[in-house]
Amino acid sequence: MRAFLRALPWIGPALALIVLVVLFPIGLMIGNSTRDISQSGIDRGGVGLANYAEVFAFPYFWPIVGRTLVWVVVVVGLTVVISLALAQLLDKAFPGRRFVRMAVVVPWAASVVMTTLVVHYGLEPYFGIINAFLVDVGLIDRPEGFGWTRNPGTAFAWAIVVAVFVSLPFTTYTILAGLQTVPGDTVEAARIDGAGPVRAYFGVILPQLRSALAVAVLINIINVFNSLPILRVMTGSIPGYDADTVMTMIFKYLQNQHRIDLASALSVVAFVLVVVIVGVYLRVVRPLEEV
Amino acid sequence: MRHTGRDTRRAGAIIAITLATTTGLTACGFGGGTDDGGGDGGTTLDLLVPSYSDATQGLWEDVIAGFEAENPEVAVNLQVESWDNLESVIATKIQGGQAPDIYNGGPFAGFAADELLYPVEDVTSDETYADFQDSFLTNAQVDGVTYGLPFIASARALFVNDALLEQAGAEVPTTWDELVESAKKVSALGGGVAGYGMPLGSEEAQAEAAVWLWGGGGTFGDAEEITIDTPENLAGAEFIQRMVTEGATQADAGSTDRTPLLDIFVQGKIGMQVGLPPTVGQIAENNPALEYSVHPIPTQDGSPFTLGVADHLMAFQNDGDKQEAIAAFFDYFYAADVYVPWVQAEGFLPTTKTGSDALGDEEALAPFLEVLPDAQFYPNANPKWSAADSAFKALFGQLATGKPAADVLAEIQAQVDAG
Repeated sequence: MRAFLRALPWIGPALALIVLVVLFPIGLMIGNSTRDISQSGIDRGGVGLANYAEVFAFPYFWPIVGRTLVWVVVVVGLTVVISLALAQLLDKAFPGRRFVRMAVVVPWAASVVMTTLVVHYGLEPYFGIINAFLVDVGLIDRPEGFGWTRNPGTAFAWAIVVAVFVSLPFTTYTILAGLQTVPGDTVEAARIDGAGPVRAYFGVILPQLRSALAVAVLINIINVFNSLPILRVMTGSIPGYDADTVMTMIFKYLQNQHRIDLASALSVVAFVLVVVIVGVYLRVVRPLEEV
Repeated sequence: MRHTGRDTRRAGAIIAITLATTTGLTACGFGGGTDDGGGDGGTTLDLLVPSYSDATQGLWEDVIAGFEAENPEVAVNLQVESWDNLESVIATKIQGGQAPDIYNGGPFAGFAADELLYPVEDVTSDETYADFQDSFLTNAQVDGVTYGLPFIASARALFVNDALLEQAGAEVPTTWDELVESAKKVSALGGGVAGYGMPLGSEEAQAEAAVWLWGGGGTFGDAEEITIDTPENLAGAEFIQRMVTEGATQADAGSTDRTPLLDIFVQGKIGMQVGLPPTVGQIAENNPALEYSVHPIPTQDGSPFTLGVADHLMAFQNDGDKQEAIAAFFDYFYAADVYVPWVQAEGFLPTTKTGSDALGDEEALAPFLEVLPDAQFYPNANPKWSAADSAFKALFGQLATGKPAADVLAEIQAQVDAG
């Protein structure tokens, strides 16, 4: 206790910040989730867990949860696999490597909304450049192109493509940093012992990337789960709830229906859900244990 | 099982990170306060308005400059938001106790039900109040008390690409059956040309819904009750599905928004589409060569009908100490020499008697002023209309994705009843 008091002046500002920007909003959100709030924002009193009951009773709730899991697993999975390959490439010395490394950062430096909008406009029928290309090479026989972002399945698939694209730089660089810590003599020893490149990669290099991968995957899971802008832009014009994840549903409660109470309840559910996903990952993959 | 203290601490850290990153979305319910009561003991009015076009901000700035010159003791704070954000901005402001004094929006009944608004008669002079057209005033009342000042109006009409219809040998339709026939002929031209441009996307699905559901004799209800799931409305919904399945519309009607689709019409690739008065100006600016004409909207039996939309100004009570300043502002704004140029510049129709007289001989507006007497309005006075509006935007497009029409209407009705 005395040690804590002595430390307080140093950790005090950080604590105050955490209370103000993390704990207070969470408390407010949990509070809002148990209130009945009118469309124009007036608090009409507590309703206990009725908002949660309404969220769970929504007929599209479970499909939305399922789609959220698909979204997280596919985006994070593809991102990690592609990043592993990219990092391996960038780790090799070749002429112009510096420029290629910089180019990989570009999706990170660009605004996510901007990147998504560029793809979205490209996919528009009548004037989108991607559609025009597909029509010109003969893959689509309708002269105005196909409404990629107008149908739930294709819009969701394109959202995954964009999400992977914007997640690559961070993941690649995390793995690249991990690769730098792999001692060259372990690889050399494996080679002398007769391991081919594939065996050396999976038997020696990959296990040593474990902690870098753990960081990359964890942060990606949380980021991808909470990602709103990509899905919002790519699937925003689709009627109904056939392309929604938990995040876009929170947004729809808030933006379309002005239900601050329901949106708060679903946010709390979303938080529990992401903790569960991270928990399952930690239990099943055990990435944090020593090699 | 290897559960070490280290694992637990790590798990705790992960939960903390997760917490910090998940809570951004809903907890931001506190608006920034800008109202400090004005300087020099005068009054400051906060004015929150949506952007109708790129010119909106400038038009308001001109109005405010003129008003402040006549009323030096009152200052006006202008805040312009996009239509997409407007409703969440106003909800956030009200929740944070920062409601504007004057607000320009569509639905007002929810605010009236929460007792946030001044009755219009308390914040306008008798002359200003008496100048509003009666149909618009009725449309702005809750329980006989007017809460919204009719601001600008628009009516819908069918824009027809004459060149395409002639090429396809199709007639300008007045009934639903004729519309399907003409639209299919135009669609058959190929080359990416669509017969009828049907925007059921989230942008303004409620308008396209009203055009067809009401045109078949349906309604969305009245001040007491919102009725979406009715046999009359089902006829219109099924007609929309017929248009889509028979190939009379563009592809993916369910998720096509109005504004981008209208651009395609202006480019000359759509035979017919329902448009607004500002569409005339848009065509003149972007593709003056387009051969088009404006006609009444086809209905089931060919009887004349149009969807009228009136946006409203409303005055929030807040602390109740700005009533006189608000009244001064409204009286200044609705004077014909201020109001008419505003409405004209945005290409809409006026809601005042003096305004209509002033615009009576505008040629471009004539087809719209002609159908205005047959206009039907959204049930704005019903506090649940705002929920219905959102439900249409979110769900109505499912008609075009193969969901049975009755199910779509039932789903919208359910969301309205729950809201």
